[in-house]
Amino acid sequence: MIRLFSYLHLPRRHLAHTGHDSSFQSRSSATRLPLPIILLSLLLALLCSTGLLACGGTASSSNTLLFGAPISLTGSTATEGHLTLEGYQLWVKEVNAHGGIKVGNTTYQVALKYYDDGSSPTRSAQLTQQLITADKVNFLLGPYGTSATLQDEAIAERYKIPMVEANGAAKAIFSRGFHYIFGVLSPASEYAKVMLEAALSLPTPPRTVAIISANDSFSEEVATAARDFALSHGMEVVYYQTYPSGATDLTGVLTALKTSAHGGVPDMLLGSGHESEAVTTMKECKQLNINAKLYAFTVGPATPDFITSLGPDANYVLGSSQWTPQERYQGIDFFGTPANYERIYKQTFGHEPSYQSAESTAAGLAFQYAIQNAGSIDPQKVRDALARLNITTFYGVIRFDATGANTFKPMATIQIQNGQVVTVYPKEVANAQLLYPTPPLSQR
Amino acid sequence: MLVLAVGSLPVRRLPFHREVSAMLIVQVIVNWLLLGSLYAAVALGFSLVWGIMNIVNLAHGAFILVGAYTAYWTFTQLHIDPFLGLPLTMLLLFCLGWVVQYVAINRVIRAPFLVTFLLTFGLDLLIADVVQLLFTSDRRSINTAYSGFGLTLGTLHIPFDRLLAALIAVLLTAALSLFLQRTRTGNAILATGMDRDAARLMGIRIDRIYALTFGLGAALAGAAGAMLVELYPFDPSQGGVFTLRAFVIVVLGGLGTPWGALAGGLVFGLAETVVPLLPGIGPGYDDAIAFALMVLVLIFRPRGILGKAFYA
Repeated sequence: MIRLFSYLHLPRRHLAHTGHDSSFQSRSSATRLPLPIILLSLLLALLCSTGLLACGGTASSSNTLLFGAPISLTGSTATEGHLTLEGYQLWVKEVNAHGGIKVGNTTYQVALKYYDDGSSPTRSAQLTQQLITADKVNFLLGPYGTSATLQDEAIAERYKIPMVEANGAAKAIFSRGFHYIFGVLSPASEYAKVMLEAALSLPTPPRTVAIISANDSFSEEVATAARDFALSHGMEVVYYQTYPSGATDLTGVLTALKTSAHGGVPDMLLGSGHESEAVTTMKECKQLNINAKLYAFTVGPATPDFITSLGPDANYVLGSSQWTPQERYQGIDFFGTPANYERIYKQTFGHEPSYQSAESTAAGLAFQYAIQNAGSIDPQKVRDALARLNITTFYGVIRFDATGANTFKPMATIQIQNGQVVTVYPKEVANAQLLYPTPPLSQR
Repeated sequence: MLVLAVGSLPVRRLPFHREVSAMLIVQVIVNWLLLGSLYAAVALGFSLVWGIMNIVNLAHGAFILVGAYTAYWTFTQLHIDPFLGLPLTMLLLFCLGWVVQYVAINRVIRAPFLVTFLLTFGLDLLIADVVQLLFTSDRRSINTAYSGFGLTLGTLHIPFDRLLAALIAVLLTAALSLFLQRTRTGNAILATGMDRDAARLMGIRIDRIYALTFGLGAALAGAAGAMLVELYPFDPSQGGVFTLRAFVIVVLGGLGTPWGALAGGLVFGLAETVVPLLPGIGPGYDDAIAFALMVLVLIFRPRGILGKAFYA
């Protein structure tokens, strides 16, 4: 987008000079810069890099804490990336509105520096490096997704800058012995478990389940945990298959699945993957006339896109959620309760918050309280304070185990009913009954 | 797409009995033919532009994107069914392709291969960004009233919308082939593809023929986009995926005839529909297999399955 703007806004005379009608000879002479200009620009570059001239980047004044994050604003996880960004932005806005972060006698305002990583983990790692070395950020917030987080945490570790991430749940992130990575979300193993528990709580629970999964590390980890949980709780896993992450067509998998339960359609279809594959699965189930009694997806149903792109076909679908506005936490933070967070979020952005937004805001809160507890902005001291953190916020408990994962917060199961997301499990926080079985897709 | 190699760690399989009945095999073959034909539509315009103009059009996926969003827009705003609105989408894309060729690509047509590569790559970024600016990066999808319907014979199910898309794809291939072979303009296009300078000496306006060819390529891409948006969810990042697929399909099928795109599409579709059903191989390998097939074709039939020297 930035590229596009600069293209459109380039003055006309520039376009005329670089236009295609200039001949080859004149073009080559036009692109050759005179030596003095080259020398001057080299000198300028040198001055910039040594900090003699303040140019480029966000100049962080002495009383501003700069948080950096590479986020996927374009590419395959752009939707989730935007929700992540909004979560961070809301935290920044609110923390500054509430007077900033108090450290000893100094009060710091908070600023966010972010770049679009185009949903590419490699690019995300490069940008993390850039944020640390060029932008000189104080602390790092995480990117969207496990793959990017796996790359970025290594950079954070190398420079010993603490990173609190909110959107990578795979165990792999926390099993590398790194000390500067903290994740506020419940681990991957919980994603499918909470939905299977919801299914098993039904009076006549589904007996056969088919599990399909994208082949990235997070999705596979979720799927394996789901299979183990289903098998140990008396469900029959009649089909278990992985497909390439980002697949656009799943008819092959779904055709095999259609007859996998002793010649029939399994009672429950559990998809572990991403929003795009969840939408594709539902569309193709309809096309192929596959009617399970229950559809459940780990990622997807909780995002607003899922409902808008599927319309009535999104109804009855289960999803797992790190957070829902219906939960009843009494937090010590300025949001206080999930309902209040939802209200402020809607005022700010004009739409409902998703769990991606809430967990991203929570990552900011974790930093906020750790910095206050540490009484310092020294990265090492803040890291130690993060490791000791134990607070309840609007998002739930934020407390990290020895690896940096937040294993102390439960997840919730949501269902889409009449185009609205409602919480159906655990029963204590549910605001609606789980609707079961799903009517055939062709009869909507 | 290239993530696949990473994620192919062996998955522990459960000993479930997979009953591969005769009906299942028929269903898989039907799936394969439907998907393969759709892929032919994806590659048809790409094949034409490459064959005639010797341009690997990296903006092909962007044209598919524009086609998809045009269909999405006409469906949501004007309530025109994507299949019925196909001529409209194609007309719009034809104009877009014509203008792009006449204004931009004609100027570098005699420049080295890399220049057109760079130009179309730039166009791809530009178009995809404009689409994202207009429609945001949110995922879109069309749900027609008939999307769940189809022909059902026992357990065999042929989805109506996929069938229609496949038929249109084959129809477009046949129409393009007839147009090139039977009409004066088509012959002029072929002649230009065979020998640009000789064609000019025969009185053919090369720049217009190129604009027409590129316009046709864009129109066919638009048709593919309009059909894809009906079957799959769509977002502005997906153009590149389809450019890559079109490339593989054209290499598989071969340049020189529109039927090459159909052959390539069917071979490519094989890897996505039939392979997941083979015991011991999961769908995790489908792209690996598609690319392995491409390598094999390049070794044994370097010009592709149906490839010829020219578009003749």
